[in-house]
Amino acid sequence: MDTMIKTAVNRRTVLAAGALGTAMLAMPTVLRAQDKSLKIGVYGGYFKNSFDKNIFPEFTKATGIAVESVAEPTGEAWLVQLEQAAKAGAAPADISMMSQVAMIKGQSTELWTPLDTAKLPNATNLLDRFINKYPDGRIAGIGAVAWYITLVTNTDVYKEAPTSWQAFWDPANTDKLGLLALVSNSFLLEVTAKTFFGGTNALDTEEGILKVFDKLAEVKPNVRLWYRDEAQFEQALKSGEIPMGQYYHDVTGLAASEGHPVRSTFPKEGGIQDSGCWALSRASKKAEEAHIFINYMCQPAIQATLSRKVGTAPTVKRELLDLNEKEFAAVSSDIEPILPRYDLLTSKADFLNQKWTELIVG
Amino acid sequence: MKREAPQSIADYGPLFFPAGMLLVFFVVPFGTMIAVSFFQRQQGGFYTPAFVFSNYERFLSAFFGGVLGFSLMLAVTVAVCCVVLALPFTYLLSKLPRRLQVIWLVALLSVLSLSEVIIGFAWSTLFSRTAGITNILVQLGLMKQAVALSPSFGAVLTGMVYQALPYTVLVLYPALVRLDPTLMEAARTLGSSPVRAFFNVLVPALRNTIMATLIMVFIFALGSYLLPQILGRPQHWTLSVLITDQAIYQSNMPFAAAMAVFLVLVTLGLVALTLLIGRKGEKA
Amino acid sequence: MSGLVLNGVTKQFGTFTAVENVQLSVPHGTFVCMLGPSGCGKTTLLRMIAGLDDPTGGTILLDGEDITKVPTHKRNLGMVFQSLALFPHLSVGENIAYPLRIRGKGREDQKKRVDELLALIHLPGYGDRPVSKLSGGQRQRVAIARALALSPKLFLLDEPLSALDAKLREAMQVELRQLQQKLGITTIVVTHDQREAMTMADTVVVMNGGHIRQAASPIEIYRKPADTFVADFIGSTNLIETTADSSGAATVFGHSVPGLVLPAGLQKATISVRPEDVHLTAPGNGAINGTVTFVRDLGGTIETFVEAGGKQIVAVSTPRARPEVTAGQQVGIVLAPDVCVVLKQ
Repeated sequence: MDTMIKTAVNRRTVLAAGALGTAMLAMPTVLRAQDKSLKIGVYGGYFKNSFDKNIFPEFTKATGIAVESVAEPTGEAWLVQLEQAAKAGAAPADISMMSQVAMIKGQSTELWTPLDTAKLPNATNLLDRFINKYPDGRIAGIGAVAWYITLVTNTDVYKEAPTSWQAFWDPANTDKLGLLALVSNSFLLEVTAKTFFGGTNALDTEEGILKVFDKLAEVKPNVRLWYRDEAQFEQALKSGEIPMGQYYHDVTGLAASEGHPVRSTFPKEGGIQDSGCWALSRASKKAEEAHIFINYMCQPAIQATLSRKVGTAPTVKRELLDLNEKEFAAVSSDIEPILPRYDLLTSKADFLNQKWTELIVG
Repeated sequence: MKREAPQSIADYGPLFFPAGMLLVFFVVPFGTMIAVSFFQRQQGGFYTPAFVFSNYERFLSAFFGGVLGFSLMLAVTVAVCCVVLALPFTYLLSKLPRRLQVIWLVALLSVLSLSEVIIGFAWSTLFSRTAGITNILVQLGLMKQAVALSPSFGAVLTGMVYQALPYTVLVLYPALVRLDPTLMEAARTLGSSPVRAFFNVLVPALRNTIMATLIMVFIFALGSYLLPQILGRPQHWTLSVLITDQAIYQSNMPFAAAMAVFLVLVTLGLVALTLLIGRKGEKA
Repeated sequence: MSGLVLNGVTKQFGTFTAVENVQLSVPHGTFVCMLGPSGCGKTTLLRMIAGLDDPTGGTILLDGEDITKVPTHKRNLGMVFQSLALFPHLSVGENIAYPLRIRGKGREDQKKRVDELLALIHLPGYGDRPVSKLSGGQRQRVAIARALALSPKLFLLDEPLSALDAKLREAMQVELRQLQQKLGITTIVVTHDQREAMTMADTVVVMNGGHIRQAASPIEIYRKPADTFVADFIGSTNLIETTADSSGAATVFGHSVPGLVLPAGLQKATISVRPEDVHLTAPGNGAINGTVTFVRDLGGTIETFVEAGGKQIVAVSTPRARPEVTAGQQVGIVLAPDVCVVLKQ
C-alpha cells in the first residue's frame, strides 16, 4: 500500500525503496545536543536521508545550531498534524518542507509565521517564484527544493526526441502514453493551457477551464496508463511497454545514465516545475534559528550542493551558481517553466477533481 | 441445564470483551465515518463539524452511479469466477492423499503472503507486450506478434481472481473435507456420472457454504483498489479507488466518508437480499 | 451364466493386499451375506463389485458380461451405504426419484414409481418430507427404496443396519429378506453381524485376511465349517485336537470315539463340536471323563464347563435334557461321530 500513497511531494521514495517503511514513521534523528537547536520536518525517505547526510551536519558546523530532522508522513497528514499541534501551542517541527498546496491551505489558518526578509539577506538570490506570499504580501515560505516533470520517451521506440507537449495529442501515439492520474499532481491542465491556449491564464475562468478540459479529453485515446504509482510507469518506460509520458526529469536522467533507453526532454513550452517550501509553524519558539537556517539554505553554494547530491533544481538565479552546463541540465533548464496553478488546485479543488475524474474515468 | 438470569454486573463479565472489541473495532470507526460524512467540506482546508447532505448529493449522480454499478458488477464477477474455479479444485484437492493436500494448502497460503502490489506488478509484467505471456505464444507459433493484454478488464479480473482464489479455497476446504464422501458415490451408483453428480449432488448439498463463500469473496473484491489501478484503465477503477483519491489525495474526508457509507449500505443490502432469497429457496 | 461371477479378483493398496484372488459365483436371485471381522476385505470386495474401487487383478462378470472396466454409473446396480448417503438437500420423494430423473424419466413416471416404492417400504405419503425429519428406520427404508428405484440387476448393501438399535435391526432384517424374495433381485450384503447373515442369506460368504474362507448356506456354514476360523467365528464351538491310528479311527484325550474316522493319511486333526452337540452322562462307560468346573444357568439354556484332558469343553442344553450336575462333579462326555466336523488344516 505504501508505494501507492504517494504524491509528487514525496516522490523520492521511489529512489529509496528500502526507506519506504520509515517514511510512515516520524522518527527524529538527533545530531548533537547543543544549546541552540532546531526541529526540521523533511519528506521522509530519500529527501530526509539526503539532507541528513549532505546538508544538516554542515549547517550545524557552520552555525552551531543542532538539527533534529523529522520524517514527514505522506499526503497532507503532516499539515493536519501541524495544524492541530499549533492549536495546542505545540510544534512537532519548527520548520517543515511543505508542498505548495499545503502552503496555501496553511495560509488560510495563519499557520505559517511570516518571515522577515531583513533576517534573510540571501533571499535576494532567489528566483521570484520561490517566495511564497500571503495574499497581503507577507512572506509565508521560502523555496526549499524544486523539481521538473518533463516529456519522457523511450529512445528505442522514439529515435528523435519530441520537441513539444503536442506529441501527446499526436494520433500516431495511440495507446502509448503514461500520464499521472491525479489532477493535483499531473498538472496537465496547465500543460494544455500553455501548449494550446497561450498560457495558464486561460484557466482563470470556469469557461476557460472547461475549454481546456475539452482539449485535454482529446488525449485520452493515446493514454495507455494513468498512473499513481511511479515505479509502475518508470518500469514500463524503461522496457518500452509504454514509450512516452510525463515523468520526473532528474529520475529519468539518472535512469538514462544507468544505461536504460530513456530520455527526458524539456518541450519548447517548458517543463512543469513543482516545488516545496520551508515554512515556520506559528507555534514554534525558534524563529531566530529558523531564519538562520532558511538564510543558510538560500546560499548559491548550498543550492549547487543540493543539485549535485540530491538532484533538485536550484531555487536561486543561475548566474550565481557554479554549476557547469552538464550539472545544470541534469536538474533544470533555461526554458521558462510551466508553473502549476496551485491557487486553482485549492480554491477549485472539488470542481477540478470532479471534472478530471469524469474526464478520465467516464 | 437451566440458565439463571444474570444477578450482578460480574455475571455480565464474559460479554465485556466481545462487546468492547465490537465497540472499538466497529462501532466507533463506523460511527465516526457516518458522522464525518455529514460534515462540511472546506475547500483548501479540511472540514468542519456540521450536518449537511451535500456529500451525499454529490454522490447521487449518473457518474458515480455508473462507477458503483461497475464496482458491484466486478465484485460479483470475481466472486462467481473464484467459486467456479475453486469448487472443483478444492473438491479434487480433498480427494488427494493427506500429504499432497498439505503441500497444496501451504502453497496457497504462501500466495496469501504476497501483497496486492506484488500481485499487480507480476500480472502487469505477465500481460505486457515486451515481457509477457504472448511472447511465449509467439515463440510457439500460435500468435503472429506479441500484444499487451493489460490494461484491460480481463487483466483486472485475472489479478483479482488470483488474489481472492486462495481465500476461496481455504473457506471451501473444511466444508468439502467434512462432506460425506458416500454422497458422491451414492450418486454414481444411482446412475450419475462423476461430473453430473458434482453438479446435482455436491453443489446443492453445499449450497449454504457456496453462498457464504460468494458473499465473502464479493465483499473482499469490493474493497480492492490497487489492482484496478495497476491492471485496468480508468473506466475499470472501482468506487474504492475514487474513495482513496478523495480521502488521501483530495483531503476530502466528508465526501470519501459519504461514498464509503453508501458502499457499505449497498453491500449490506445486497447481502441481506441474497440471504433472504436463499432462505425462501430453502422453504420451497 | 446369469448372475454375478468374480474371477480371481484382487485389490492391493500399495503393499497391502486387501482382497486376494477371490473366486465367487452368485446365481441370479440369490441373497448373499459377506461376513467377517473388520478389515477382512468384505467392504473392499463390495466396492469393487459396485465399481467404486478398481480391482488390481481379476475380472467381474454380471450376466456373462465383463463389467470390470464399466464405470459405476453404467453398471445398473443399487447400493445402500452404511451412512445411507441420503441427499440432504432433497425431500424423501426427490431422493427416491433421483435415479429416475438422472435417466430422464418423465415427471408422471417418476411420481408413479415413487408412490409405488413408498408403498413398498410402508411409508406412503412421506414423499414431501425432508429426510432430516425421518427416524433412523425410516431413513433406512428410503435409502433402500432409492437404490431399488430403477429395478437394478444387483442390489448391494454395506452394513446397512448397523446404525439401528437391536430390536429395529432384527425387524428390518426380516423385512429386507422378505422384500428381496418378493423382488427376486440378486442381493449382496456386507455385515459383521452373524445373526444378520444367518437370518437373511441364501449364501453366507465368510471372509478373513482378504480371502474367502467358506461360501455356503447358513446351515452348512454352521454345521460343516470348513476351517478353524469359520468354526470359531460362526457361533461358539469346541475345538478339539484328535489323533488317529493306522486304520484312521480317531481318539480324543486318549479315548477312542466310536465311529469317528479321520480322512485317509491324516494322523492329527482338529475337530469342531458345537456345544449343543456335547452330551454329558455319568462318568466311565466308554465316555471321556472330565470334571465340571462351572455351570452357567441362563434359564432357557444351561452352559456346563467341563475340564477334560487339560482342555475346557462347553456343553449347552435345555434344563430338562440334562442331568443335574454341579461344579466339582465327575462327568462323562459323549461325542456322536456325526456331530464332529473334521476341519481343514
